Amino acid sequence: MIELQHISKWYNVGGKPVFILKDINLKVKEGEFISIMGPSGSGKSTLLNIVGMLDMPNEGAYHFFGESVYNLKDKHRNELYKKNIGFIFQAYHLIDELTVYENIETPLLYQNVKSSERKAIVADMLDKFNIVGKKDLFPSQLSGGQQQLVGIVRALIAKPKLLLADEPTGNLNTAQGEEIMQLFQQLNQEEGVTIIQVTHSEKNASYGNRIINLLDGRVEPSLQNASH
Amino acid sequence: MIRNYFKIALRHLQKNKLYAFVNIIGLAIGIASCLFIGVYIWHELSYDRFHENGNRIARVTWEYHFGDATNKTATTGTKVGPQFQRTFPEVESYVRLMKYPRVIGYQDKLFEEKTFLYADSAFFSMFSFPLLIGNAATVLDAPDKLVVTESMSKKYFGSEDPVGKMIKVGIKDFMVTGVAADAPDNSQIQFDFIGSFTSLNASKEEKWTEANYVTYLLLNNSEAIAPLQNKIYAYADKVSKEEMNTTGDEYMKYHLEPLTQVRLHSKLDGLEPSNNIVYIYILGAVAILILLIAGVNYTNLSTAQSARRTSEIGMRKVLGANRLQVFNQFICETFLITLLAVVFALVICTVLVPYFNNLSGKEFNAEIFFKPFTLLSLLILASVVSFTAGAYPAIILSAGKVIHILKSGFHFTGSGTLRKSLIVFQFVISVFLIIATIVILQQLAFIQNKDLGYDKEQVIILPVDSKISEQYDDLKKALATTSNVISIGGAYESPTHIGWSDGLNRPTDGKQISINALPVDEDFVKTVGLKIIAGSDYTWGDVQAFDTTNQGNNIRYTFMLNEAAVKALGWSPEEAIGKTVSKGREGTIKAVVQDFHFRSFHEAINPMVLFLDKRMLGSIFIKISGNNTQNTIAGLEKIWKSRVPHRPFEYKFLDDEFNDLYKTEQRTAGVFTSFAFIAILLACLGLFALTAYSMVQRTKEIGIRKILGASVVDILSLVSKDFIRLIVIAMVLAIPIAIFATSKWLDSFVYKTKMEWWVFVVAGLGTLVVSLIAISLQAIKTSMANPVKNLRTE
Repeated sequence: MIELQHISKWYNVGGKPVFILKDINLKVKEGEFISIMGPSGSGKSTLLNIVGMLDMPNEGAYHFFGESVYNLKDKHRNELYKKNIGFIFQAYHLIDELTVYENIETPLLYQNVKSSERKAIVADMLDKFNIVGKKDLFPSQLSGGQQQLVGIVRALIAKPKLLLADEPTGNLNTAQGEEIMQLFQQLNQEEGVTIIQVTHSEKNASYGNRIINLLDGRVEPSLQNASH
Repeated sequence: MIRNYFKIALRHLQKNKLYAFVNIIGLAIGIASCLFIGVYIWHELSYDRFHENGNRIARVTWEYHFGDATNKTATTGTKVGPQFQRTFPEVESYVRLMKYPRVIGYQDKLFEEKTFLYADSAFFSMFSFPLLIGNAATVLDAPDKLVVTESMSKKYFGSEDPVGKMIKVGIKDFMVTGVAADAPDNSQIQFDFIGSFTSLNASKEEKWTEANYVTYLLLNNSEAIAPLQNKIYAYADKVSKEEMNTTGDEYMKYHLEPLTQVRLHSKLDGLEPSNNIVYIYILGAVAILILLIAGVNYTNLSTAQSARRTSEIGMRKVLGANRLQVFNQFICETFLITLLAVVFALVICTVLVPYFNNLSGKEFNAEIFFKPFTLLSLLILASVVSFTAGAYPAIILSAGKVIHILKSGFHFTGSGTLRKSLIVFQFVISVFLIIATIVILQQLAFIQNKDLGYDKEQVIILPVDSKISEQYDDLKKALATTSNVISIGGAYESPTHIGWSDGLNRPTDGKQISINALPVDEDFVKTVGLKIIAGSDYTWGDVQAFDTTNQGNNIRYTFMLNEAAVKALGWSPEEAIGKTVSKGREGTIKAVVQDFHFRSFHEAINPMVLFLDKRMLGSIFIKISGNNTQNTIAGLEKIWKSRVPHRPFEYKFLDDEFNDLYKTEQRTAGVFTSFAFIAILLACLGLFALTAYSMVQRTKEIGIRKILGASVVDILSLVSKDFIRLIVIAMVLAIPIAIFATSKWLDSFVYKTKMEWWVFVVAGLGTLVVSLIAISLQAIKTSMANPVKNLRTE
């Protein structure tokens, strides 16, 4: 599904490059649930953003379902992204001015789904995740756990094949965090959604079936081998 | 999708009320100004366009150089119309018009009617003034026929059918032959009554001179004007040599002006004062400038507060929005704001229409703002404004890279410069308008306060006609018995504007100067307070010495000259006394009066001669003390009614007549004052809102500074420093532009105020103070807040 080859990203500080990611090679198969771990500044989020096509490396190639992402035109890349990738953030990033319903609906708007169809899809999802009663509330009226749940539903609304989560439980308490993780596991196992999450927590990482350890922009070889 | 755009826009406005308020109100004021000016300009441009034959009608004006005087007039002699029709086949018909105030009487009704026209019989077939009753071909085809307008018919005849009725015009009886619709207000030919031209004695003889008539020609096609013009030049050359016996460099010319150009493009007033296309351009420019200021506010505020939108935009992109979709969303938002502003603008215009009419001298009602054409124009204007003001923020906001937005908020690179330039631009306009306003007001004050050479205060003017002339001295005596009357004098014209031009000869060497002349009675000089600097005032003895026997051949004038005349003749005031000069007939110079302004300040004081001739008086001037004016006027009215039953008691004050000379200037001053106020208001509104946002962004910084010991004043100077610098730059740019423009305007006056340096100081300091207040309103609030609290919320 995903193949990263020799991905490097750096910033120039005083004329010298400071690497955030250095020569990353990574293959992800459909149906995997991967956790990216590592200390702060090791490049976890950057890697996730590159996989999610939000960011570009300075070097390297990226194939998504066999398509060479960096050789695509913006428009095609946007299509590929819209159809296949859902994003979840630590800070939820719900749009404050929109209700729960409208937040969830937004990705469908950008995919030009017809109004009646949109209604059906959103109603279905609200029901499935038990938040029908909250649909007219604004994000500020929800607890953190509820907001993240809305964030997940929004990420899933367009039936993406790949779900990317950047420390999804970082702002939540333990109980809320566990609920989210169980949900991820369920999505992965029952619906076959490929998930890549960035996390600090060993426990959260254990919900997945592979762990990638990053240190100073490189994949730690020992652990990579160990997981195989 | 569009619905979604509007929904989020509305939510956003609700959430940011200050932002919404400043934007909507600011744009509404800008749009309202534009709407007012637009309606005004549209009305001016529509002048005389309703005539079906409009593009085939031309006005004839006359330019001549006889003796040493060159003159241009919109009036021509009686011969021009008929002779041109006989001579040039392309002239289909002609209409000569004369406007002449007449006293109209019907049964017990008696009024002085100012808009009484005499017109040739082709009037109603040449112009498209609808005739409600009567036959266009015959209503004016014989002497003493009269067409009345619908409203005059109501005024004099009520519900009766006026046709066939006899009505008194002066002392003559006219028969009403038709009823015309009231003339549209965008016609420069205005009338309440139209009498047949043949009723005038002057119509019996065709003359090139005695130019008192406005002549219109109907040509057989609209292309004919230019070729005909050349033929007319050649023809007038021939006429002036053969019939006027011109010699040397003397000439006369007739010019053709297309009817639709008369109102805005002709320098010559016709029946009604014309307007000037330059004023239309200036107003148009002002409208655009005001709208720009309002638009700039929008652009500035949107970019300034876009920091708050970054997470939303970022998220939308993460959720799959492409750049165009984000761009469209912001344009929609601008459009919504502009649309709301349009609604507010319509409310503002409806409420302020009386004030605007007062300012512009028009008579609009609010309906004009709701005509389909106006609304459509507004919609187009709104779209243009949305796009120009909204495009920049929309481009900037939609261009941000998602990853940067999500990571670190939004940073405009370079947009600070744009915002700063726009602020400078706003204040250049504001300062310019303020300076222009002060200069115009100064010039008006200068006109009001300058010694005119006569005293215009507390002088009542009443008319004199041939019937009053017969009993002039008795009437004067009777009026003088009223309490508080100081003195009474008479003259042909008012000293505010003396039009009579003449020539004066020095018999010793035959030297002739062109001169303005005014027939007066023996009390005129002291009544209006002319100052005699040599010689003495007229006496009853001078009146008695005025010998009108022998058909006037025994007349010997007594003259008073002004200083300019004496100088032109080469004498000192003292030398002139007792000398003989000739104005047609000879006379003695009895006195020299100080130069006085008998024309507007646009014109220099020319030589002037007053001569005692009580047969030619046109007005009575009554100087009163100013105590209990109401009673004095009531007393005068009583005497007038008993002695002058044929004329209504309609009086004017001399100072009002004087002020009428500067109507255009006063109007300009009104317009500039209003728009200078609006410009500075909008600019400050923008500053206020910008400060508010910069305060929000700098909350943390200000909190830290306060903890480190900064006082409120320190914080204030910190946030206002940047703005103040921009305003100072704006002033430096605006002052030369203002100096250039205002001195251009002042150049149209011969007598003008000096441009003083303090004007610029006042304009500059005023702008600074007002903008400082706008900044401080918000800044003080933030800088007084508890820093610990601020930091906690960060």
